[in-house]
Amino acid sequence: MGKYVCSVCGYTYDEAKGIPESGIAPATAWEDLPEDWVCPLCGADKTQFQHQSTPIASAPKDPVVLVEPSSDLRELSPLEISILCSNLARGCEKQYQPEEAALFSELAGYFKAVAASAANPDFDKLLALIDQDLSEGYPGANAVSAEAKDRGALRALVWSEKVTRVLKSLITRYQKLGDAMLENTGVYVCTICGFIYIGNAAPEICPVCKVPNWKFEKVEGR
Amino acid sequence: MSKKYAVRNLRLCTKDCLCLYVCPTGATDTENSVIDAAKCNGCGDCADACPSGAISMVPEVYPPQQPKTEAVLRAMNELLRSKSRQEQIAAELPGKLAKAIEKSNRIMAEDLIREAGYMLPQSENTRDFLQSLLLQRQQMEGFPKEAVEKLIKAFNQNNKEDKNMNENKTIDNLMEAFAGESQANRKYLAYSKKAEKEGKINAAKLFKAASDAETLHALKHFEVAGKISSTADNLKDAVAGETHEFQDMYPDFVKQAEAEGNKAAVMSFTFAMKAEEVHARLYQEALDNLNETEEVFYYLCPVCGNIEKFIPEKCSICGVSGDKFIKY
Repeated sequence: MGKYVCSVCGYTYDEAKGIPESGIAPATAWEDLPEDWVCPLCGADKTQFQHQSTPIASAPKDPVVLVEPSSDLRELSPLEISILCSNLARGCEKQYQPEEAALFSELAGYFKAVAASAANPDFDKLLALIDQDLSEGYPGANAVSAEAKDRGALRALVWSEKVTRVLKSLITRYQKLGDAMLENTGVYVCTICGFIYIGNAAPEICPVCKVPNWKFEKVEGR
Repeated sequence: MSKKYAVRNLRLCTKDCLCLYVCPTGATDTENSVIDAAKCNGCGDCADACPSGAISMVPEVYPPQQPKTEAVLRAMNELLRSKSRQEQIAAELPGKLAKAIEKSNRIMAEDLIREAGYMLPQSENTRDFLQSLLLQRQQMEGFPKEAVEKLIKAFNQNNKEDKNMNENKTIDNLMEAFAGESQANRKYLAYSKKAEKEGKINAAKLFKAASDAETLHALKHFEVAGKISSTADNLKDAVAGETHEFQDMYPDFVKQAEAEGNKAAVMSFTFAMKAEEVHARLYQEALDNLNETEEVFYYLCPVCGNIEKFIPEKCSICGVSGDKFIKY
């Protein structure tokens, strides 16, 4: 009997113990868990789990593919400017500067409003970008940040890589189950790292960045 | 330590009001519960007294932001671009999940750009960004020019000139303190040896401990001043330093000492001059072979400071016997 660890939040599934309170009897083998079983803590799917004996490989050891940027000092798009401004608004809030925060928020709103909209948006396009992030973006960024010993960058990368994997598994499930997946349940977003939780109440602490649940925001209908 | 002022985290505040009791200036006594930064004198008594840990002392001026390598900035920017596209796509899709994904991508992107040099709103980067917005975007329809101008003004006021001046002065002070602490280290070591010879063991021990303490201070000042680079650059700096000493500094000192008839000084300078020449050569060799993995051993002459890569019969500078050399 072995143990399987969720690479997103660290939850451990113990085959010997099962999860009796969720109807999974003790001594239920990993292979016998239903394919659509998800991590009870963070909702990651089975593919995000690793057997405890295998070390968690966060970055592949293959030669690192560095993504060539289109230009060194490329101009930020309006939406990216909006993101930069809403980040700086948060920075001002943290320093108790409400007036400056409001000004940055005003800028963020303006640039979000003038940003172009996506052409033919669909979930497959999202998945394609996510796959590219996971296969190229994160391994490359982790490698250069580790080399530069950039703790701040590494921290941000760890969180957003985990959240990106959660998004992938959520979208994949959503494509199979459709809106039934969201019926009679809440959708919560961690306002610190972006982790999405689907369930009746936000988890006590965010499984990715560990903030308490009052930092979660409930997403209301649309 | 830079000047600080108190801020209160209302979420933690349990209204014990000890801050009101201890505050010498009344800065904590406000209608809206926000501590009055103008009145706060930075003493920190309120933060110490608060039983809920709701008050913290924050610096008025933050240190300059940590440098980012170009490679990291590029990589973070690529991810930022991808996340912003995902936000853009999700914004067009129906349903709660899409709305959550839009939000999630915004939060991840904010965090990525934050760690790509935009942590603090009062940083140089932010000012440059705001200036470039004014220059490049103000022709856009409905551009909130006034908001940008207000922000530039707000962050210029409390920072720009003062901060740059303060930073430069502080770097100078760090280097002055580094010089002073370094000298104190050697001085106390000399005093310690003397006390040991005189059998004053306790004084010797204290001098030794204090000399080590000054080393700690000196190393920290030097590090904080940002003077430690890559090993290759450090070697280049060492070559330049030693070369200056044996080519310019010591020859002048030797002449002066000879003119004054100070034989001991002539010898002390001459030994050092010759040893520095050797050091410069060895540093240059180490630089040339920086990527060699084969281990090299160095042997130090404990009398004159000469360094060899083998044990000589006797020191080529001061003539002391080779068996006195210390292996590194």
